[in-house]
Amino acid sequence: MSGHDRRLDHSAPAASAGATADSGSSGSAGAGNGSTWSGSAQAGRSAAPSSADPAAPSGAPSAAPSIELEGVSFSYPDGTPALENIELRIDPGELVAIVGQNGSGKSTLARHLNGLLRPTAGRILLGGRDVRGLHVARLAERVGLAFQNPDRQLFAGRVSAEVAFGPRNLGLRGAELDERVRAALDAVGLSAEAASNPYDLGYSRRKLLSLASVLAMRTPILVLDEPTTGQDARGAARVRAVVAVAAGEGRTVIAISHDMRFVAECFRRVVVMRAGRVVLDGTPDVVFGEATWPELRAAYLEPPFAALAGARLGLGATPSAASFVAALGQRARNA
Amino acid sequence: MSSASVATGSGLPEYVTRRPGGFYRSTNPSTKLAIAALEVVAAFAVPGLPGPLLVLGAVLVSGLAARRLRGLAVLALAASPIVGSILLVNLFLLPGASDPIARLGPLAPTWSGLWFGLQTVARLLVFSTAIALVYLTTAVDDLLADLARRGLGRRAIFVVGAAVQMVPRTIGRAAEIVDAQRARGLDTEGRFWQRARGVVPLAAPVVFGALTEVEERTMALEARAFSAPGRQTLLRIPADTAFDRVLRWAAVFALIAVVGLRVAGRLG
Amino acid sequence: MAIELRAVRYRYAGASKDALQSIDLRLEPGRVLGVVGANESGKTTLCLVAGGFAPGVVGGRLEESARIDGVETTSIPTHALALRCGLLFQNAATQLSNTTATVFEEVGFGPCNLGLVVPDVIERVWWALKAVGVEDLAPRDPARLSGGQGQLVALASVLALRPRYLILDEPTSELDPAGTALVADALARVASETGAGIMLVEHKAEVLARIADEVIVLGEGSVALAGPAAAVLADPMLAELGIEPPERIGLERDVRAAGLDWPAVLAEAPA
Repeated sequence: MSGHDRRLDHSAPAASAGATADSGSSGSAGAGNGSTWSGSAQAGRSAAPSSADPAAPSGAPSAAPSIELEGVSFSYPDGTPALENIELRIDPGELVAIVGQNGSGKSTLARHLNGLLRPTAGRILLGGRDVRGLHVARLAERVGLAFQNPDRQLFAGRVSAEVAFGPRNLGLRGAELDERVRAALDAVGLSAEAASNPYDLGYSRRKLLSLASVLAMRTPILVLDEPTTGQDARGAARVRAVVAVAAGEGRTVIAISHDMRFVAECFRRVVVMRAGRVVLDGTPDVVFGEATWPELRAAYLEPPFAALAGARLGLGATPSAASFVAALGQRARNA
Repeated sequence: MSSASVATGSGLPEYVTRRPGGFYRSTNPSTKLAIAALEVVAAFAVPGLPGPLLVLGAVLVSGLAARRLRGLAVLALAASPIVGSILLVNLFLLPGASDPIARLGPLAPTWSGLWFGLQTVARLLVFSTAIALVYLTTAVDDLLADLARRGLGRRAIFVVGAAVQMVPRTIGRAAEIVDAQRARGLDTEGRFWQRARGVVPLAAPVVFGALTEVEERTMALEARAFSAPGRQTLLRIPADTAFDRVLRWAAVFALIAVVGLRVAGRLG
Repeated sequence: MAIELRAVRYRYAGASKDALQSIDLRLEPGRVLGVVGANESGKTTLCLVAGGFAPGVVGGRLEESARIDGVETTSIPTHALALRCGLLFQNAATQLSNTTATVFEEVGFGPCNLGLVVPDVIERVWWALKAVGVEDLAPRDPARLSGGQGQLVALASVLALRPRYLILDEPTSELDPAGTALVADALARVASETGAGIMLVEHKAEVLARIADEVIVLGEGSVALAGPAAAVLADPMLAELGIEPPERIGLERDVRAAGLDWPAVLAEAPA
């Protein structure tokens, strides 16, 4: 996939070839493989890992719990409905993008995944267990949510302290904590700025810092809210690399985005939302395929250019640049 | 460049020129301010207990007539801890009091203490309810527009308007900050001492956010000729009837009279 | 009749190095000039300098010549700058004055600051609302608009001053695709109908591909590339400067890198 690899920043941690999103492959990748984050997530805790109990901290990515939303509805206190009867199941290790225009409910849905919002109807299961009684602080051990606006989070005087905040809240100390911080900063390319003041960094890098602070928590499930919005090319490349590495470690990665190209390149499942409902749910091939364009457009979204180009040339479903190049090459060889 | 002019109402859409209705609410904002000032000054200037209580009664009656009694009641309820502590402190600890109501071991509540406590409480309540009544019956835009009409500078107006509008915005932003920190494991639902550790991670981004916004807001204002010389044109002009004017001047004179009498020692 | 920067150098107060080094730029009425650059390449500074807000409002030191219609920006009083050059920023919410109850009054904020008579204010407000296409938002509460709507109202309120130039610093960065398209179309309409010269800083190369006539590329405070929009956006140097080209260009590049030909039928945008 030469076209795709060129986009990755070459100084990013090496990602396994199988981890890069390719519309043809499916299923979760295996356990961590030689990236800078290898090792279990929360050695600081002593509880034995148990994938059936979402409250028990467990580090090994292969124990990532599944997430199920059963009949979830949500209305804001002032009555505005935001989610209507959502039925969604996300299996361990899946790479899911939730897309939709602003106001479609995608951010609201993201906040349900770690308990910041509680459904007004229906229930949410983590690893088969209802999360109703669990505090957000406990759910944060399993589900890390990186916010869209970094300036709503940054408070520490030093980048390293900022990144240490999350794991420290989870109980880590000492050498283990330092290692987490170092690895997370490395993953986003901010190692050189460990002693800097977060506000001395530009917006792009502050956003990467905020991402690092969630990565350092090594949660088996990672939720990213608009990770590429406002990012320049380098920042966006970093984000894609981070997603690839997390995928390679078997983590579940869920991204909220309206960047269709990012979605097509990095994710294996696309959930389209409109007016609080799920209207499409499938692989990028299906969701960005010509048959569903009217539905996409009704949700105020446009398929990635590669999909449009592929359809124009009659190449079949080519949502990502890589798949387009591959299909074009295939045709050239057959000709 | 023409001189500022008062809106004639013609040509302006209805939603700009529309005025509030209802007793007290339709009264001119500056008049309401003048009345509130009179009430507060009267409560503090008149010695003894009956004076402040009467003023408090007047405020509450106006609140009832303006159909805002519930808001005032909520305020009074919110003030009850302060009210309670003032009463208790004065009841038991008024210096120089020598007329005990009873003896409860080492504690001796006094009549003077009770009297003084009630008076202080009444004055405090007048202060807060009088101001609250103005707030509850006046839209900020109308108040600012009225002050602008009377010559209050545009900078002062902007500061007041922005400060008022900033409250809901800051609350909204603070809520998002709390969410973001909770998502990183900050415990806001657990024991108190754990929650106390969260003050800096919660407060700092709010402050930083407010500060960084200042520069952008300044530029946005300049981009709209905020610092242009001369008077601002006013589109929204609250009504100022003859009755409003009479009432306002009466309140101002009464205020001056009360202060004068008090200073001259005539209020007994 | 243009905004012209020649060899401009600018440094913020208290900074250790120049934010802009030797910038040449020309913005003419009726044209749309796009500006791209990696984050921290000086795009916002360029907006402030071109609009006269730097050093006028934010201080700092400007060297060489920055002129609006032949007049040095440093000699224009701050409030007069707004009449020549309207400035818009990323965040719609902070650009609202927060002192008005309706969009109508919000758009009238500028003209009222100038002290125009009410009939003039009314005329300007409706003109600006129409130019942007948001007349139906007039009775709404400015604090309750969506991101895209807020940006459009901010655009209208700056337009109400009838500036000859408009400078926009990443107005769509926080908007979703629908909001982005709304703003882009409104800008194109404003340029053609009002004859304003527009300088548009954008991340999203797509937007510039759609409405820009010329594009300049900033890299570390200086102009790395300049020229007609189509040519600049297709230049391979963009990637090295940390800028994402429009999707079509990026795809073409990938195809050629794989040793394949770019199908001719895709030379125009597909339906």
